[in-house]
Amino acid sequence: MTSEDLRIAAAPRWQPPALPAERQTWTRPPAAVWLPVLLITIAMALPPVYLLLRSADASAEAWRLLLRPRTAEIALRSLSLAAAVTLASVALAVPLAWLTVRTDLPYRRVWGVLTALPLVIPSYVGGFLIISALGPKGLLQGVLQGPLGVDRLPSIYGLPGAALTLVLLSYPYVLLTVRGVMGGLNPAYEETARSLGLGPWAVMRRVTLPQLRPAVVSGGLLVGLYTLSDFGAVSLLRYETFTWAIYQQYQTSFDRSTAALLSAALVLAAILILVSEAWTRGRMAYHESAGARRPLRPVGLGRWKWPAILFTGAVVTASLMLPAWVLGYWLVRGLHAGVAMGSIWTAAFNSVSISALAAAAAAVCSLPVAVLVVRYPGIFAKVAERMSYVGYALPGIVVALALVFFGANYARPIYQTAWLLLLAYVVMFLPAALGASRASLLRVGPRLEEAARSLGHGPLRTFLNVTAPLMLPGVLSGAALVFLLTMKELPATLILGPLDFKTLSTQVWSASSEAFFAQAAVPALLLILLSAVPLGYLMLRDRARF
Amino acid sequence: MIPPVVECIRAAKSFGPTRAVEDVSFAVGPGEVVGFLGSSGSGKTTLLRLIAGFETVSAGEVRIADKVVSSPYDHVPSERRNVGVVFQEYALFPHLTVAENVEFGLGKLSRHERRRRSGRVLEMVRLDGMGRRYPHQLSGGEQQRVALARTLAPRPVTILLDEPFSNLDASMKSEMRREVCEILKESGATAVFVTHDREEAFAMADRVAVLQSGRLEQIDSPSALYHSPATPLVAKATGACDFLPGRIRGGRAVTDFGSLAVAACSGGLREGTEVDVLIRADDLQLAPDPSAAAVVTSREFRGDEVLLAVRTPSGATVHCRRHHYSTLECETRVRLFPVRSEPFVAFPRRPGA
Amino acid sequence: MTRMPAWTWLAAGLLSMAALLACAREVIKEVPVEVEVEVVKEVVRGVSAEAGSLVVYSGRSDSLVGPIIDQFRDVTGIDVSVKYGSTSEVAATLLEEGGSSPADVFFAQDPGGLGAVADMLAPLPDDIVSKVPEWARSPQGRWVGISGRARVVVYNTATLSDGGIPATLTSFSEPEWKGRLGWAPTNGSFQAMVTAMRVLWGEDKTREWLQSIQDNDPQIYPKNTPIVAAAAAGEVDVGFVNHYYLYRFIQENGEGFPARNHYLDGGGPGSVVLVAGAGILKTAENPENAERFLNFMLSQVAQQYFASQTYEYPLVEGVRTHRILKPLSDINNPSVDMADLADLVGTQRLLRELGIIP
Repeated sequence: MTSEDLRIAAAPRWQPPALPAERQTWTRPPAAVWLPVLLITIAMALPPVYLLLRSADASAEAWRLLLRPRTAEIALRSLSLAAAVTLASVALAVPLAWLTVRTDLPYRRVWGVLTALPLVIPSYVGGFLIISALGPKGLLQGVLQGPLGVDRLPSIYGLPGAALTLVLLSYPYVLLTVRGVMGGLNPAYEETARSLGLGPWAVMRRVTLPQLRPAVVSGGLLVGLYTLSDFGAVSLLRYETFTWAIYQQYQTSFDRSTAALLSAALVLAAILILVSEAWTRGRMAYHESAGARRPLRPVGLGRWKWPAILFTGAVVTASLMLPAWVLGYWLVRGLHAGVAMGSIWTAAFNSVSISALAAAAAAVCSLPVAVLVVRYPGIFAKVAERMSYVGYALPGIVVALALVFFGANYARPIYQTAWLLLLAYVVMFLPAALGASRASLLRVGPRLEEAARSLGHGPLRTFLNVTAPLMLPGVLSGAALVFLLTMKELPATLILGPLDFKTLSTQVWSASSEAFFAQAAVPALLLILLSAVPLGYLMLRDRARF
Repeated sequence: MIPPVVECIRAAKSFGPTRAVEDVSFAVGPGEVVGFLGSSGSGKTTLLRLIAGFETVSAGEVRIADKVVSSPYDHVPSERRNVGVVFQEYALFPHLTVAENVEFGLGKLSRHERRRRSGRVLEMVRLDGMGRRYPHQLSGGEQQRVALARTLAPRPVTILLDEPFSNLDASMKSEMRREVCEILKESGATAVFVTHDREEAFAMADRVAVLQSGRLEQIDSPSALYHSPATPLVAKATGACDFLPGRIRGGRAVTDFGSLAVAACSGGLREGTEVDVLIRADDLQLAPDPSAAAVVTSREFRGDEVLLAVRTPSGATVHCRRHHYSTLECETRVRLFPVRSEPFVAFPRRPGA
Repeated sequence: MTRMPAWTWLAAGLLSMAALLACAREVIKEVPVEVEVEVVKEVVRGVSAEAGSLVVYSGRSDSLVGPIIDQFRDVTGIDVSVKYGSTSEVAATLLEEGGSSPADVFFAQDPGGLGAVADMLAPLPDDIVSKVPEWARSPQGRWVGISGRARVVVYNTATLSDGGIPATLTSFSEPEWKGRLGWAPTNGSFQAMVTAMRVLWGEDKTREWLQSIQDNDPQIYPKNTPIVAAAAAGEVDVGFVNHYYLYRFIQENGEGFPARNHYLDGGGPGSVVLVAGAGILKTAENPENAERFLNFMLSQVAQQYFASQTYEYPLVEGVRTHRILKPLSDINNPSVDMADLADLVGTQRLLRELGIIP
């Protein structure tokens, strides 16, 4: 046979020309993403850098102090407290989130606001209130003495009391992050599971909870790291943790290098927790398809309604009503005794405005980090994300002093201005906003961004017109969390605030530290009340959402 | 000569060690509709994303309107390619109304112009009056048409559609396919679409590119692909088929039921080569013959026809189509004879294949 | 069932809160007019039309010194800016700021805080330091005491009476006090008292005493306030505290508050009087206003303020102590130089060795 007989199926219309050899290409984040992230990461690195500088001055005595077996013991106490508080917070918060989001619990929006509010009670106030209420000779003992003749309650000092206090004050971290996700769950998954023959509990355990895991983990991380950095509650309830030891160095020895050395050790502990968190997080990439989603139908509680109300009511009573009642009691008693109350309206204004600014700043800063982490994963993203948690895990005084050092010596124009204070808040509270931003970005499918790009919108316009509006609900709840945290923040506000800068939390501290309880009660109550406003707004807006 | 609208020249894309697209070259002319046909994992979507600019090439080039838009050294971002993309899941912006979605890509026009254009396009997709709705208030087919309208509105040089009908149910699918075809023709758009559905590819495309494991097997008109596939893979991808073993003798393939005239795929067929002859179900006809060696092994009534499977003496099975009142039963001995007017296609058998 | 919308609940809450706060409007601070005139004469010397400004870093809280600083601002016209914080926080801030500190004056709760930044303080003029007794100031004249606070024992009045409490610290090492004591070993004032012990008793006796108290299983508190609260609640029978916290509880709770102070008038470190003091930064930009500030704080009116409003001991001759306080002259204050109490390192080493602090 001849070659003419051969039919060539597809005669090419042209011959492809020779081209240069293959080259590996990477998806690099644009400058609009990596540059802000770099700046934020540098800001986040200020406290650790400061700790290194200070640790370098540490004396042999300081090193001896750090390296004795006692240190390991204190570290272990810190970690076990963090673990206990985290687990208990999750156990409390997940059912609460479910009850207040997914069920027909009566007045669930009101419960939603009330269950989130304990977050604003400063821990030094919370600790004092717990002792006043549940101490060996506290209010509860007084109530029980009459009918039951209880002369003395068992001591709550130590791990149980510290853990109880911290759980009651910090379970809302988990609650808020879980609520955000729970409201957005696609009902199709649960319906599929039901159709496959799973009962309601099995659906909860095998479908709903696994979907909540990222939110539970990120909320739990906030609780755990907060517990590491708390001083107020552990000092009042006499549980010697690492942060407590750090404060001792500042308070009684005025020894910054030893404190820095101990803080550096705390940073290592925090990194340990972060690494283990990354390990549990695994490879998550949840994208919701951006199409139509039906609203969730509330689950009928039926005969479980009253037990559910009882449970929610008990948590709100212990974590919010009890403190509010003690504060109210102090106030009334003080007014009755003719105690003069200073004006707190300036402080209230300062609190609200600086907290709102901090919330906005943290939310804005969280956006590029979230975009980097979600859309351009890699070593830089990993470092930036981990780094953002360091400031949060450190005691406030350490972050504040680090910024005093850099601010007073290298950034004099912004030293003792609201700008540096805002920077401190961002350094401390970015993770609270980042968690929410990351979760909400994970829910915006990359197809939507690609669609915008193909329609001629550049990366920045795409972000502003498509990604940001869709992330907004999540970002706002992160901002609300930062708002609450800033409202009660104390050490950085005191140390870095502009001169004569008074906020509600500094007024609470100023009065309570000198045992002027009636004077402390007014700003403390106002703190709780003003914090309810953004929370209430978020809850109400949720209802109006499309 | 009018330059091609979309051109891929030895384009390749690797994700780490995985080679998603390898050495793919083709060109799409103005007004032409080209379909990428392949199973999942064949690299067809990656190829589309390379053209759209969502991915960068590891090697080779992508050109749009005769300009290099992707090479390992240069990458024009998606927003500067003037390429429209319709996504599998539509990717309508849930926070914008239908009209706002359609106007999204019309940033450069005045507000009045934008209104006019979006009204015009929505009319074209028969959604006039739906502009104020939100995407979640629309049915799947309507969402599909909004996605198409949004893509058409800025008059892109080419439209890329990723599995455009996979989210629709079967009855909707053929209707939408026809509508989309009409809309594309009406707008005169050059289009590239991705599908795993042969019927869809044949119905819509002027030319179909068959992709397998990241490689372009063949690109040609649907009938050419069907009748003269370049490889066994293309043959299988373009329709049900059987391969009948044979050997080349004097330019013809000698098989169980005689010698068949063959054309060959590229490469040439030397005397004595072992080949597989491609048999489509309507290439053979059969007649009952008790002395014949072939036996009917199964019979499938399909309404408009009857599909018979016939075992040849060498053990190969070929399928054969009969009219719907055929009464041939299983176990009937039959004689097979070719009815194809053109030479058969034969592929040299690879050792071990 | 009709539902009350959530916002009405929130609004109701806000309104009731506002009503509550309306009752708590500012009350004008009471200062006798004639005293104010005197002060004006005293401090206004050399005040020009442009009074200038002053930056005070205060380790004493706003609720304690805010009113008297306001008065200083009013009478002098000086634009005073204050940074409040705990003494340790403010001291650490000053140390971090170093030479760039904007502060003019450091007002500290205890000598330890002043000692920590002593190198940053400028020597004070004699006419300022000489206003207080020698024991209440730095020997180099770096800082000066402003007000005094006595170490006392607070006790529960339901279980004890003033007569039933020993007159010296040593008696609390007896086993009869087992489980009845409260202390705050990490507190600066407590540590200052232990430092005084080491000065007066020597290392060995101090160690012995600390060990014997430790053997009595004392309840440990972070600071003074919770000890007073615990003594009143009956959690402990007695506690080692500074004297003035009790009076704030009484002020709010009324005379029925079940705790009182007991002075250890048997002498020794148990009745040591500590001072809160202030110094002027070397880097002060307004040294003249800073001196004026110290002069004012040592004036009759300010001293009277500390005596009557914060229940502290005035350190300047001729100012009357609050009538509910035992006069300084009756306290049997041992002669300990405050400057000796500023160095806490040895004390902390001792406490750490005994396992009292970590």
